[in-house]
Amino acid sequence: MATPVMMPQMGESVIEGTVARWLKAPGDSVEKLEPLLEISTDKIDTEVPAPAGGTLLTILAQEGVTVAAGSVLAYIGAEGEEAPVAPEPEEADAPSPPGDEAPLEEAGASRAEAQAKPAGRTFISPVVARMAAEHAVNLDRIQGSGLGGRITKKDVQAFLNGQPDEPPAPSRSAPSQPRQRTPLTGDTVIEPLTTMRRAIADHMVLSKRTSPHVTTVMEADMTAVVRHREANRSALAQRGIALTYSAYFVAAAAAALRAVPIVNSSFREEGIARHTRINIGVAAAIPAGLIVPVLRDADELSLPGIARTLEELVARARSGRLQPDELQNGTFTITNHGIGGSLLGTPIINQPQSAILGVGAIVKRPIVVSESASLLPSADDAIVIRPMCYLSLTIDHRVLDGAAADEFLSVVKKTLEGWS
Amino acid sequence: MSNYDYDVIVLGSGPGGYVAAIRAAQLGLKTAIIERENLGGICLNWGCIPTKALIHNAEVVETFHDAKTYGISFDNLTVDFGAAVKRSREVVGRQTKGVGFLMKKNKIEVIEGHGVFLDDHTLKVTPSEINEEAETRTVSAANIIVAVGARARSLPGTEIDHDRIIEYRDAVVLGELPEKMIVVGSGAIGMEFSYVYSSYGTEITVIEMLDQVLPLEDSEVASEVAKSFKKRGISLRTSTRTEKVELTDGGVEVTVKDLNSDKTETLSADKVLMAIGIRPNTDKAGLEATSINVNERGFINVDEVMRTNVPHIYAIGDCTGKLALAHVASAMAIVAAETIAGAETLPIPDERYQFMPRCTYCYPQVASLGMTEAQAKEAGYEINVGKFPFMPNGKAQALNERVGFVKIIADAKYGEILGAHLVGPDVTELLPELSLAQFMEITPAEIARNVHAHPTLSEVLMEAAHAVEGHPIHM
Repeated sequence: MATPVMMPQMGESVIEGTVARWLKAPGDSVEKLEPLLEISTDKIDTEVPAPAGGTLLTILAQEGVTVAAGSVLAYIGAEGEEAPVAPEPEEADAPSPPGDEAPLEEAGASRAEAQAKPAGRTFISPVVARMAAEHAVNLDRIQGSGLGGRITKKDVQAFLNGQPDEPPAPSRSAPSQPRQRTPLTGDTVIEPLTTMRRAIADHMVLSKRTSPHVTTVMEADMTAVVRHREANRSALAQRGIALTYSAYFVAAAAAALRAVPIVNSSFREEGIARHTRINIGVAAAIPAGLIVPVLRDADELSLPGIARTLEELVARARSGRLQPDELQNGTFTITNHGIGGSLLGTPIINQPQSAILGVGAIVKRPIVVSESASLLPSADDAIVIRPMCYLSLTIDHRVLDGAAADEFLSVVKKTLEGWS
Repeated sequence: MSNYDYDVIVLGSGPGGYVAAIRAAQLGLKTAIIERENLGGICLNWGCIPTKALIHNAEVVETFHDAKTYGISFDNLTVDFGAAVKRSREVVGRQTKGVGFLMKKNKIEVIEGHGVFLDDHTLKVTPSEINEEAETRTVSAANIIVAVGARARSLPGTEIDHDRIIEYRDAVVLGELPEKMIVVGSGAIGMEFSYVYSSYGTEITVIEMLDQVLPLEDSEVASEVAKSFKKRGISLRTSTRTEKVELTDGGVEVTVKDLNSDKTETLSADKVLMAIGIRPNTDKAGLEATSINVNERGFINVDEVMRTNVPHIYAIGDCTGKLALAHVASAMAIVAAETIAGAETLPIPDERYQFMPRCTYCYPQVASLGMTEAQAKEAGYEINVGKFPFMPNGKAQALNERVGFVKIIADAKYGEILGAHLVGPDVTELLPELSLAQFMEITPAEIARNVHAHPTLSEVLMEAAHAVEGHPIHM
């Protein structure tokens, strides 16, 4: 029996991948888990290992072809074995017959999107199927205006027009092809969207449309953290660990997620999905855009452990060598926008999570400290200079209310201020 | 339940009005319909139905003229146009009775007489020219559907005298055959009457201001029809403007100007048929007593559920100026009635009208929907055009039909049908397949792969669809 090689699903929002390079040719023998081909997605470039040992019988998706996650790329079997007649891999920009686009949709539909889906699938016309394939549109996200809710060409057009910009088909931006700037009349040129830019755009719009965003802000006195970091930095550096402030924020967030577990959840139509594991994603800027590697079970890691893992993940993210599972299953996200000097931000939730913590720059500010409980001026008041940091928590108001948000943020603040 | 006599009053009982009344009644609304002439309106009484009866007569006459082909011979063939008219009136009689039956069946009150608005909810019904017996009464309704239709328009300064300067209503019941007739306007009405009268022996000259006959049709279709008309001896004068129409002793003189050469010429005939278009009957409905807005041409503006600017007043059909065809009025009627009843409906946005079927029943027949090839290009589409003639089709050969073709215009990118243009035998009966395909957004690829029975004329549709895909079989 031949074993199919499938396009893996790289992260929750990744619905397709491009075959970058085949490392083996048909007829070559391969060992199980030996790198078989390189693929490129909007999130990462990675190698796909052979799912079984044997002979590479046939390649169905040639280099440069973009296919939906779950599509068969090749078959491995015994030498001389005939490859099964497989459906052509579903090319992301090829017309697909109605009813045949399940992998594309299932992959694209996050929990939050699923709620917009009408019960049962109505007829998808050939024209709509072709448009959806060309633009990699998840039809579950479109409300049909036709009889019985049928999605018409006009609906798809309106959906595409509603997006920030009409994107070119992802397949046209296959990595091997040189990008071309299209001059417009006047002083503007159009630079084709990269797959990642497109994915970010789609995800941000989706998130804003899915969740009612509310942001709450507190500030933390970082004196204890700064002091701790100064004291331990060089010792850890000798162990090869760069102790970043981000590590403290991850640790504080993990503590707060344990203390207020409702924040570690996702809204679903059937109910609130409460996640038992605390997997914290940390947004990292990379040249191509933005990527969110995930620290698994962050609450089980020590501060040096967090620092080390974080450093490794970010380094791999920047060199495009993250493993697919290092992008998946996040339950909460932190964005340290303060790295660029930003004081305060209102980040957008990373779906299908229900909250995101924004961390501002740590700056010395005069603040008033007082022994007095009264808000009225008192002889006990003093103005002091402290390293301060704004913390903003954006929540999905469908899941969380202000009280839970503030409770969570208070734990983060207290953890940071009381660091020892 | 309300302070009004009815839930819905429909003003006018043409193919828009009577359908609206039936649908409203089906949905449980207390419904009345006001008609100043005969149930069925123009369509049943003076338009679609009697003309089709006359056209069929003409086709039979043509077959007799062609009898030798079939090995039939006879002496002294005589054709009686009066009998043709009589048969058409019988057909009309049966059809209008049918509408009367449907009104009764659905418990719709038929109010005879001329309805005029008194205010936004009330109409006054008085005896009309046709129906002098009608009782004068005042009726009110929570909702009103205006379906008053339209009538023939004439050239400025030319009055239709219904004797020598006639309109379709006269042409459909002409007592005797004119020897020479000038037809002003080459739309469906002008072309259909030209065909009928020429079949019976009248010498026809068609005057068209634009540069092709059937000016709304695809130019290839128009030239196919023109070719056939010229063959049967009909004179077609395109790019020609009618300057003046004057009555003379026993006849009529028409001064025309060739717009290319600027030359003026005077033509004489027994009769002139005005077929240049319509004007709405909104001037006869007392709309000034309501707050309904009409546009500068007198048509009532409606939205995609046929609502006028007055929320409980709807308008459908020819008086809206959308697309003056009976089936369009019926479609609008259903949407209006369903909207009033709060039932599920499918609104008709403006861009849908272009894709509704259009038929001309001359010989060869013309049926089309959507954009012409020129319009599709102008709209910026990259198109694939598939065209296939009837000539090689076995069924067409068997029927002795050699003229015409099917032309499908599809968007090159997604395959959407942008236009379909058919000319030839019974093409009006072939159009629905393409109309359904367009509505359901099915592409020529599926039409081509759908097996069509052999031998049928519909195989030509399949071949044209193959042609869009680049590989017709029988070519």
